[in-house]
Amino acid sequence: MARLLRMYGKKRGNRRTGSQIWGSAGEAAFSLFFLCVGILFLVRLLNSLVIPEWNANQGFVQDRGTVKMTRVGQQPGGSGVRPEILIRYEVDGQPYEAWTYDIHHQNAVPDYSSDPAAVQEVLRQFVVDQEYAIWRDPADPKVVVLVRGYSWWLWLLLLLPTAFILIGGIGLVYTIFHWGKSVEHREATAQLSRRFSAGVSVGARSGYPTVPQDANLTNSPGTRLKYRLPIDISRGWRLLAIVLACLFWNGIVAVFIISAVSSHRSDHPDWWLTLFVLPFAAVGIGLIYYLVREIRIVSGVGPTHVEISDHPLRPGQSYQVLVSQSGRVTLEQFEVSLVCEEMATYQQGTDTRTDRRVVYRQSLIHFEKVDVIPGASFEQQAGLVVPMECMHSFTSEHNEIQWKIVVHVDLSGWPPFDRSFPVVVCPEHQRVGSFANSAHQYQD
Amino acid sequence: MRIPLISIKIDNRTVAHFPGDSLKGEYQIDAVDPDDLRAVELAVLWYTEGKGDEDLGVHSFERRTTDDDPTANLVELQTFDVQLPNSPLSYEGVLIKIRWCVRVRIFLKSGKTYSADSVFQLGNVPDAVAILKSGSGESDHAVAGTEGAVAREET
Repeated sequence: MARLLRMYGKKRGNRRTGSQIWGSAGEAAFSLFFLCVGILFLVRLLNSLVIPEWNANQGFVQDRGTVKMTRVGQQPGGSGVRPEILIRYEVDGQPYEAWTYDIHHQNAVPDYSSDPAAVQEVLRQFVVDQEYAIWRDPADPKVVVLVRGYSWWLWLLLLLPTAFILIGGIGLVYTIFHWGKSVEHREATAQLSRRFSAGVSVGARSGYPTVPQDANLTNSPGTRLKYRLPIDISRGWRLLAIVLACLFWNGIVAVFIISAVSSHRSDHPDWWLTLFVLPFAAVGIGLIYYLVREIRIVSGVGPTHVEISDHPLRPGQSYQVLVSQSGRVTLEQFEVSLVCEEMATYQQGTDTRTDRRVVYRQSLIHFEKVDVIPGASFEQQAGLVVPMECMHSFTSEHNEIQWKIVVHVDLSGWPPFDRSFPVVVCPEHQRVGSFANSAHQYQD
Repeated sequence: MRIPLISIKIDNRTVAHFPGDSLKGEYQIDAVDPDDLRAVELAVLWYTEGKGDEDLGVHSFERRTTDDDPTANLVELQTFDVQLPNSPLSYEGVLIKIRWCVRVRIFLKSGKTYSADSVFQLGNVPDAVAILKSGSGESDHAVAGTEGAVAREET
């Protein structure tokens, strides 16, 4: 029996249960809440702070008043202080007295400071029984100030309700715009807007939706072949990440280790602390080992360069690949392969995980027991034939099919490692121009 | 209440289509009073299945409503003719499957929606299998198979 309101969603094969209408209503309510809070906050700020300050600077009339007393005002129920000056003045022959300083003194949200010395400094500027310029509200003679100006922090504070209004307003407009729209309708609208704003399919090769662009792969010419391919992940960035992780982790663990060691040396051993620190210390040692390994690879093994005769690749076509490896090591095994790998990203609870599977591997170059002469490099060129009916490169938000040239190096006395160089495989032929791939216009 | 019946027929559905081909067919809605229908949508799209979260891309989209033409009969037989794009091709992988389909979705005035899919194949990419690292050789390829018709109805 269909339920009027499902309290939670379940996955049923490739579908999910749940009510789109209730989901949209929840989104609208959430956005409306933010919008209302932002508007209320903005109205309160404007009424209590911004508008009075603006009026004091623009609308108040200047007059003269006599200081009769000064004091340090205390915040009720708090430790804040502010300057308070008793002013006597006349309006249309009628005398008035008021405790004041600036316009915020009159506000429902008075302005207190935590610096008594600064308040005293302000009070020293006003001498009792001396006349000073004052500014008073022409509409209400009781409202008067001794100093005017604008508070810079007030304008920064306006950013807060503005943010709430933007979040709530944009969310509400988005929800209303997409109310009742099917997932296909939303995606078609989103694709149209992406095309109009970017000119071409964002992130995809022109004429080939979902095939990644290769601009970053063909912007470096090779020395002997047409292009030099960039490496997948810079080893330098990986090394930097490991250094930072090692320093951060071991820095914290070291504090606990020193404390535990001190307790043992002072004949009052803290065994609970010692047992607690042990697994963390083990992780720290592992990080140090991994760091040393990476440093050895970077310093001992030179860069790997891969050049290719043409790009992008197409099924059934032949290409030349040139691989060059420098360093001062003996290569136990040196293998270059063309690899196709699937990558799928999914949510598992609160974690985001990525699974990988290699679905194709073609060995291009394979050598064993090669001595690389210091100052020289080991170079090999080989042919590459892309399989006739293979899947092209594909990229979407959560799924990817990536082709790459992988160089596997096994060294004598060094840890083995792989270096990957992405390539793009396009479908066999472009039979459709890029303009024809635009989604059809729809009628509302 | 009767459940609407959405019939989708694709010409040469069991044969693989290729980029640039015209995808032709027709669809019709039965078991529903035309006055109960608010809108009908036709989409030619691809979607992913498998380990990763589902992605979807719409190649062609058409929406007909009674607001545009109150006299239009949304249930009558409609034809479509869409030129297929260069990519992505249909793919049966290990972690990722890419499927193409024609999806018809109807919106009733009561607020309910129903949809049905008819899957077709774009391209002739062989099925993929996971391989372990080896010294040489290519991956195993299964025989390329055509997808059976899949009509999915949801509320």
